[in-house]
Amino acid sequence: MALYPSDIFAPQLQLLLAASVILSGCGSEQQRPSTGVVAPIPVDALVVDFPAGEFDSNVVETLAGDLATVNPLVNETMAGSAVIGRILEGLITLDPNTGDVIPNLAKSWEISADNLQYTFHLRRGIHWSDGQPFTADDVLFTWDCFFAKQLDVDSGEPVLDENGRVKYRYSSRSTFGQLINGQEPLVEKLDNYTVRFTTPEVYAPFLLFGGGEEILPKHVLQVSFDDGTLMDQWSVETAINEPWKIVGLNMFVLESYRPGERIVFAKNPNYWKVNTKGERLPYVARVITKIVQDQNSSNVAFAQGLTDFESIGPDNVAWVKRGEERFDYTVLDMGPSSQTNFIWFNLNPGQNAEGVAYVAPYKFKWFSDQRFRQAISHGINREGIVRGVYFNRADILHGYVSPKRKLWYNDAIRKYPYSPETSQQLFAKMGFTLEAGQLKDPLGNAIKFSLMTNSSSGLRVEMATVFKENMAALGIDVELQFLDFNTIINKTSDSFTYEACMLGLGGGAPDPYAGKDILMSGGRLHQWYPQQVEPATEWEARIDALMLEIGRHTDVALRKKYFFEVQEILAEQQPLIFLVSPKDFVGYRNRWQNVDPTPLGGVTWNQESLWAEPNP
Amino acid sequence: MSAFIFRRLLSLIPLLLGITMLVFILMSLAPGDFLTPVKAQRDVPAELIQAIEVEFGLDRPWYVQYWKWLGNVAQGNLGHSWAYKMPVVDLIGQRLWATFLLSVSAFVFAWGIAIPLGVLAAVYKDSIFDRIASALAYAALSIPEFFLALLFVFVAAQTGWFPLGGATSIEYDYLNWFGKIGDRAYHLILPTLALGIGSIASIMRIMRANFLDTMRAEYVTTARAKGLSEFAVIFKHTLRNAINPLVSSFGFAFSGLLSGALMVEIVLQYPGIGQLMYQSILREDQFVVLASVMMGCSMLVLGNLLADILLAWSDPRIRLEKKK
Repeated sequence: MALYPSDIFAPQLQLLLAASVILSGCGSEQQRPSTGVVAPIPVDALVVDFPAGEFDSNVVETLAGDLATVNPLVNETMAGSAVIGRILEGLITLDPNTGDVIPNLAKSWEISADNLQYTFHLRRGIHWSDGQPFTADDVLFTWDCFFAKQLDVDSGEPVLDENGRVKYRYSSRSTFGQLINGQEPLVEKLDNYTVRFTTPEVYAPFLLFGGGEEILPKHVLQVSFDDGTLMDQWSVETAINEPWKIVGLNMFVLESYRPGERIVFAKNPNYWKVNTKGERLPYVARVITKIVQDQNSSNVAFAQGLTDFESIGPDNVAWVKRGEERFDYTVLDMGPSSQTNFIWFNLNPGQNAEGVAYVAPYKFKWFSDQRFRQAISHGINREGIVRGVYFNRADILHGYVSPKRKLWYNDAIRKYPYSPETSQQLFAKMGFTLEAGQLKDPLGNAIKFSLMTNSSSGLRVEMATVFKENMAALGIDVELQFLDFNTIINKTSDSFTYEACMLGLGGGAPDPYAGKDILMSGGRLHQWYPQQVEPATEWEARIDALMLEIGRHTDVALRKKYFFEVQEILAEQQPLIFLVSPKDFVGYRNRWQNVDPTPLGGVTWNQESLWAEPNP
Repeated sequence: MSAFIFRRLLSLIPLLLGITMLVFILMSLAPGDFLTPVKAQRDVPAELIQAIEVEFGLDRPWYVQYWKWLGNVAQGNLGHSWAYKMPVVDLIGQRLWATFLLSVSAFVFAWGIAIPLGVLAAVYKDSIFDRIASALAYAALSIPEFFLALLFVFVAAQTGWFPLGGATSIEYDYLNWFGKIGDRAYHLILPTLALGIGSIASIMRIMRANFLDTMRAEYVTTARAKGLSEFAVIFKHTLRNAINPLVSSFGFAFSGLLSGALMVEIVLQYPGIGQLMYQSILREDQFVVLASVMMGCSMLVLGNLLADILLAWSDPRIRLEKKK
């Protein structure tokens, strides 16, 4: 029953295409192929049980940052992920309420008794947005894209790099992200609708990480896979001139794209979810996405009643809320976000090429003392940051896991309530003395260090200022350095010439194993001392061992036990001194029906069921 | 004449070499590179970063990268954008028209207003009109264009009379032909004003001064003595001579045609080359930056060349050939 909007607007579309060709200055003649067949509703269509609504309204929204590519193998930006995520889908997805893995393109799966084989049963009868059937071949093709090897022209053997590793033909984030301990999982087609993955060893996050990979259309991309141009496909050039070539399984397809201006999505005529009346979803005909420079401009647009859905930062929510009545929208507090803010000291014992230690040895002695870090942690007035910097729109963060991740959150870890007295006791145990308001170590060195944070984040700059004051109260002199983000990353990952740093981490996959780069001593983001060859301390060795176990076990209770211990060690050792976690806020205009925001899914997790009276 | 043009264009080569080398050095001195933001993200395997580093040649010193790039440019290949995975030329081409449209409209606006105003101010020298025009001109000259753009953003946000950014509105694709032109024009108003107002003032001042100079010339007195009407004196004899020096300003205006609108484009969120350049510089998307810089530089040289040629054409006293 759902009409394909391009049929209705065909003449206008032609005009638009003509116009965009002229405007883009490219003279090549483009022709939109006749619209794909609207395939029958799939046998295995998913019935969404929100009350049925009306079709044909449009959504207007903003996107912070412009699109650089629509190719998921190439994309590196948040804006790109947001766009691609509208068009492509994975075999599994996450429950917006519980965070559990739930069926998506796969209607079910089995895991073998030895936990090595994952057999996915695909929904039958699903069609790509261009009308071609979706089958197991598409899944196989997608994984082929990840793991295709560079072959020697003469011998046909895979080319090896200087370290003896195979060179991949299309190295992407997924290529290396899906390697399990350096080995590839095996993918097999059992029949048109059944795919079996075999992991080389037990690898618990596979269901989430592997199953979550967005599936690519074989019938569209096979040609460029063969001729080697796969990575150049689905560029912005395609999005501008031939958007219909970008074919997907999710609820939208690209209708048009104007660089720096906007992206228009049209509904996918072959989407595989239906409402309770058996009508094909989504309800909206189009999503018009205005490209804006940053999250602030995006919030401004929402506050003026120009857009329909929005996520709002804690620093903007107060004034956005003021427009609720005038522009008829609602702002909701979604509780703690997955974003974390923390401080760490440089614990890298190494030295640079000239033989100068990264951290002055006497300071390294402080930093590497567990009691020092605990004392600092006790000296931070987190309550003050929540009140003074965030105006109560944040929560105190005690440990590595944000309370948003309920399943993995350990509330029983050691906490560091604000207590300068406890700090002083710990310092006294280290032999530090307070002389005329200045803390000194046993050798008479004044306790002072510099803390860097990125100047582009206003909230972090304010938090650093609070930190400096808190430290001054302990008799510690903190020199603040507000630096460019790139400079900070260079210092923390290459030159290691810094003493302490304040940064944040957001999001990440909701599996503890996703933190392996941060938590394991060999990790690239093991901030306080990255890429260790051997764990520098016993507790880091213990965390490494626990993380490996978390990867190897599929039993949730067991993984939880291990991960809770990781959190306990981190809390005890304080290599990362956690501060606060800002709250999430979402806004939506009241004309929308079936709105059901959840902390994990935000406001548009059920986009297919959202409807409004069609726009006048 | 053609020898002169040839020599000028030849001089472009060392200039471009020098400038691009400078850009390469500066970009290698700047902290981080294209991959730095990627390194800060979680879930990015170290192997991928290594693989991309090798692919992009970022693991090599800057002169090796520069040499390789030069080799490609010599073969007519300006490179691929790292962020967009497409040829730099096409990427710039996408945005060229929007900026070109804005620059031309600002140019027409500025010159169309400034020249009559300058003439009037000169003809009615020291009148109240002249004084007001001068005062406004000085005011306009002293406001930086990005500040003017910021003011306009504020006005647009407060009143809702003008669109906030963009070059077309949401309904654009469904408008008829006239509607489309109108919609574009509507979106051009604020950027055009922001970009044009500053140059109105300077052009008007030049025009006024030239005009006054010329009015004192002996042939103007002669023309008056012959009994020509004041209209003929002003428009036939004075204006045509007084406008000569402005021809060189025209050359400069040409040079800024594609790269002069950067500030305004960024502040007013106008989707032109300026925004692309700015984003590329922030991301250190090297080849896009290089191509934009080369384009700006070539336009400057071409603009100057154009000005010289126009001057030679309009003023017979100027010779471009070397004296024998």
